[in-house]
Amino acid sequence: MSIKRRQVLAGSAAVGAASLASGLAAPAIAANEPLKIGYLPALTGPSSSTGIGITRGTELAVKEINDAGGINGRKIEMIVRDTQSDPTKAVNAVAELTQRQKASIIWGPLNSGESLAATPLIARDKVPMLHPCWVDELIDVKKYPMAFRLAPTASQIGAGANRYIVQVLKKKKVALIGDTTGYGTASVNTYLPMLKAMGAEVVYSGNVDAANPDLKPDMLRMQSGGAEAIMPWSVNAGFLARICNTRAAMGWDVPICGQTTLGSGQTKALLEKPENWNKVYANNFRAVCFNKDGKLPARAEEFVGRLKTAKVDMGDTLLWWIAMGYDGAKLIADTVKAAGDKATDVVAYWNKLKGWPGVYGTITFTPEQHNGFQDDEVIMCEVNSLKDGAFNIAPGYSS
Amino acid sequence: MTRARIESALPWLALAVVGVGLPLLDDSYLGVIAQRAFIYWILCAGLNLVVGYAGQIAIGWVAMLTLGAYTTAVLTAGTVAEAWNPYLGLLAGCVLSAVFGLIVGLPALRLRTFYFAMTTLGFATIVTQVALAWRSVTGGGVGTPGPVFPWPFDPGWGFYYLCFLLAALATWMTANIADSRFGRALVAIRDAEVAAEASGIAKPKLLATVFVFAGALGGLAGGLFSSLQSYITPDAFTFDLSVLFFIAILIGGRGSILGPLLGTVILTILPEFAAPLVAWSTFLYAALLLAIVLLIPGGIADLLDFKNRRPLEQHREITPRPELLEQVLGHGGKASMLRLKGIELHFGGVRAIDGLDLDIRSGEVHGLIGPNGSGKTTTLNVISGYYTPSEGAAELNGVPFPLRAAHTRAGYRIARTFQTPRLIGAASVLQNVMIGGTIDGAATFAEAVLTLPRHRRDERHLKDAARLALAAIGLEQLADVRADRLQHSELRFVEIARALMLRPTFLLLDEPAAGLSAEEIRRLGALIKAISRAGTAVLLVEHHADLIFDICDRVTVLNLGKVLAAGTPEEIRSHREVVSAYLGA
Amino acid sequence: MWESIASYGLAVGAVYAMTGITYNVMYSASRVFSFTAGMLGMLGGVLGALFIARWGLPVIVGFLLVLACGALIGVVTELVTVRPVLKSIEQHLYVLSTLAFALMVQQLVAIKWGTDAQPFPRLIPIGEGLLDQKFWLPLLACALTMGGLEFLYRRTLVGRAFLAIAEDSYAARALGLPEQHLRMASYALAGVIGALAGFTGAEMLLAFFGNQSILNFYGFVPVALGGMGSNRGAVIGGLVLGVFQQAANFLVGGIFASVAVFVVFIIVLLLRPEGLAGASLARRV
Repeated sequence: MSIKRRQVLAGSAAVGAASLASGLAAPAIAANEPLKIGYLPALTGPSSSTGIGITRGTELAVKEINDAGGINGRKIEMIVRDTQSDPTKAVNAVAELTQRQKASIIWGPLNSGESLAATPLIARDKVPMLHPCWVDELIDVKKYPMAFRLAPTASQIGAGANRYIVQVLKKKKVALIGDTTGYGTASVNTYLPMLKAMGAEVVYSGNVDAANPDLKPDMLRMQSGGAEAIMPWSVNAGFLARICNTRAAMGWDVPICGQTTLGSGQTKALLEKPENWNKVYANNFRAVCFNKDGKLPARAEEFVGRLKTAKVDMGDTLLWWIAMGYDGAKLIADTVKAAGDKATDVVAYWNKLKGWPGVYGTITFTPEQHNGFQDDEVIMCEVNSLKDGAFNIAPGYSS
Repeated sequence: MTRARIESALPWLALAVVGVGLPLLDDSYLGVIAQRAFIYWILCAGLNLVVGYAGQIAIGWVAMLTLGAYTTAVLTAGTVAEAWNPYLGLLAGCVLSAVFGLIVGLPALRLRTFYFAMTTLGFATIVTQVALAWRSVTGGGVGTPGPVFPWPFDPGWGFYYLCFLLAALATWMTANIADSRFGRALVAIRDAEVAAEASGIAKPKLLATVFVFAGALGGLAGGLFSSLQSYITPDAFTFDLSVLFFIAILIGGRGSILGPLLGTVILTILPEFAAPLVAWSTFLYAALLLAIVLLIPGGIADLLDFKNRRPLEQHREITPRPELLEQVLGHGGKASMLRLKGIELHFGGVRAIDGLDLDIRSGEVHGLIGPNGSGKTTTLNVISGYYTPSEGAAELNGVPFPLRAAHTRAGYRIARTFQTPRLIGAASVLQNVMIGGTIDGAATFAEAVLTLPRHRRDERHLKDAARLALAAIGLEQLADVRADRLQHSELRFVEIARALMLRPTFLLLDEPAAGLSAEEIRRLGALIKAISRAGTAVLLVEHHADLIFDICDRVTVLNLGKVLAAGTPEEIRSHREVVSAYLGA
Repeated sequence: MWESIASYGLAVGAVYAMTGITYNVMYSASRVFSFTAGMLGMLGGVLGALFIARWGLPVIVGFLLVLACGALIGVVTELVTVRPVLKSIEQHLYVLSTLAFALMVQQLVAIKWGTDAQPFPRLIPIGEGLLDQKFWLPLLACALTMGGLEFLYRRTLVGRAFLAIAEDSYAARALGLPEQHLRMASYALAGVIGALAGFTGAEMLLAFFGNQSILNFYGFVPVALGGMGSNRGAVIGGLVLGVFQQAANFLVGGIFASVAVFVVFIIVLLLRPEGLAGASLARRV
């Protein structure tokens, strides 16, 4: 686990140095100045597991583009600032990236807590911003006209999970549980009314500290409330694994359906028995899942091939994180290629973006809608089918 | 005098210039870091009084930041009621944090250092948990937007100046406290609690005041913090941040304002120097703290204390000037008497005092002698109010006199010195002596904070009186030297000077001649005699028989807690039992 | 529900109790309240996972290695953070040096080991459900520790020497007891006990750097309530705390449980600052 982090840091330093070096080697004409992208992952700290996966994809994209000559002859310089999962560090880093480094576009932050603090500041500095965080409030075309999201919103995610439980599996009584982070509490808050609107009965809803070693009390309460499905919302692998383990210890046979991290290698490692991963369904995305024939969609298949060639490790993370990281950097590169790097041009281009073919999802923006991910691309996958960081689509979907 | 003033003002001027001039560099990144440093310093300035001056290990003080931040943000955002004006929101944050500062601080009066540290940690965790749980008000994990201040303090350089001004104000206020009798009293509580009590310093009231003040500053910092962050979530208020504040003060050095200020600035800026450092920042802070504790416990302040590096004169003599005592003591000429009747004090099965009668009269030196363990110091402690006797009573000028509550003795003009000198090593001799006059200050804490005229008058009088007292005992040339650089004998005389500041009606001396040379004992004797002739009643506990018989008007001999004999020195010297039990042939 | 409260509460309580004993052993040897007790517990879990799960060592070997590391770290603590500052009369310095050291170790673990809780291997494959060894192992360890310490202090010369330097170090030195070595040995012993606590508890608490803060506080509560220096008080306090915490978890839920524990802690402490079984403060003047 720790080795990957150092590799990532070393890797990003190497990418930075390489691109800087190649930038220096070229003749010093203004047009050939490197394209500065500010990148704000959380590489250390409690919420860093997604950051590590996403960074692998981002680095691959930057490498591919720079190896192929860059964007119109300009190399990409990815300026990485580790936010350490801390909003205060994120704020400092934003100031440095926009003011001192004069980054043209910001990719990130990758965690909602940091994005909540960073977005207003980036907006104040009038820099275009692309991020993959899920919290609904982060996108607001009026307050933050230059902020765009290429991942689903929390509502879309919840809707996907809710659809599966209520409409596909036809369960009516649901237990909704989140951890005590911003993400966990926001999720439970948002999904509760959505479930009720779909006709489900929420027999339990609560938030538990992810570090709490014993989830039995809460799960007993779920059971006595008659829950027919458990929906956990947390990015903490320990928390999610404990839910699976406790369900097994109780001998309780109900489906667990919720956050993507349910399917990560880290969660798997914390299970007491492999069987505890049965009947567990996690959010995932049609574009990166194995369909009924056991095959990935063409774009994803080809991407995985490239990952294997570049020897990118997929074993302890998820394919969609890597894919999302790749898409983020690629979208920015394609934008600059088509429209240049001036803020107004970038935003204008994005406002008109239609059906951009990402590995992770097909992205469409409009001036009124800065959330680019499509509703029907959010589906559930069956986590115990994990192979090379990707999963089978969960059983029961009609298409 | 003026040169010293300019020297001490120089670092402040430099900081002011940097603070005011930074915007000229037009680097917003530097601006953000600077604002953060200002905000952290506002909190640390208050915490400095708690940790650096009062010596309380309040590690979990980030709770004040959290409380202030959420109060200001929630009230300004209009989540619970009509949206408040951001300045009022800021004020509300201050008030709430002040209240909680008191609540968190009160256990300090009852608990030992480590226990108190743990409770502050627990409190900080609780505050964060509540912020997470109370979704309807704080927004829970999603958080709440921070206030935006209107022009001229709008986000950017405007807000920068607001933070700068408030930081300057916090610095000024805490510096005023540090340089007042309250600041000195805090240090006295920290380093010489028993002596502080004897000087009339009431620990609970003072600590409570300081905790309230520090809480308010913490809340102010919190409100500004929420604006700088523009959006606050509970995960911004980490334990790491609390550690940063605490370590900044200790690196800066206790008992200093400039040191912790520099410490705070350094620790805020340090992680920004190199991106890889960010992940290691807390590790570095902790390593720095360990290094400071092991190598330079006095911190940056110690390093900057050039004044106390100057070598002292080698062969120093203490030359008291008894002629000044009239002026120092300023007695009206009223005669007083303290009478103890039938005092008994038991510690479990041990009868430390077993029936004691004693009179102390103005203008007399009354000696109290006896073998070790006979109850001499215990008697002093009973009069000083540290022990309450099991039996017996006392009278002051015929009126019943309570024998408890050590900190009230000073009010009765009862002063004392201690068997082992209890002085504040880190403070100057003058400051140590000024502590003796604490109860004569008229200005309130608030007046001291704002350095109003009455406070300045107090300070002037105190300083003049202290210098006079030092001149009387013959040590005025060492007034500005750190007390821990003095020789043992000089420390004993300084204690006497401190006691004289009370213009005592009764002066209790506990073996003042211990460790003094023969010549020093002679001068001490002359001084004590002059003190009594100026009108003070002196009770002298001593082992040096020569000194006793030389200057005492009356002598009482104790043995095993009982009075063995009492009378004039001549009577005692030839008393058979006294000679066999104590004096020897 | 009650079975779960009992099994879980007692098991976690035993871990807290042993951490409390760690505090006591360090305090007895040096009159220093050390912030490193929680750190030792955390390392017990992290190093155990490292040796057994990561490096694949057999459970017994890993276990002994963890205890050895605990002893070593205890000795380092004494050398680096306690001995140099004992000379100074300023009590606050000990608190600071141990705090700094504990923080450094915690950060090192966070950076090198990671901030996510890592799995801890199943130690002995016996026991099912509530009687699983992960529940009674900490209790067993706690009982053995208590028994061992009682034997040490009452029956062996070394143990009595420990008590002597705790009671009056000057007199002990005057009697010729090698104070420094004894103190170092005490800290090594504390290191072993702390590591044992963390190791046996890690199947529940996982190998997690955050355990340090948790054990620091919850390991201190039994000591504060039971009286600093009283091991029996620490054990009773720890078990009661564990069960109380679990019951609160069930009845009012996670967040309010910790508030409840803290409030009770503060109230008891304010009413009896020296703890329920401790001695009053000594003569000051």
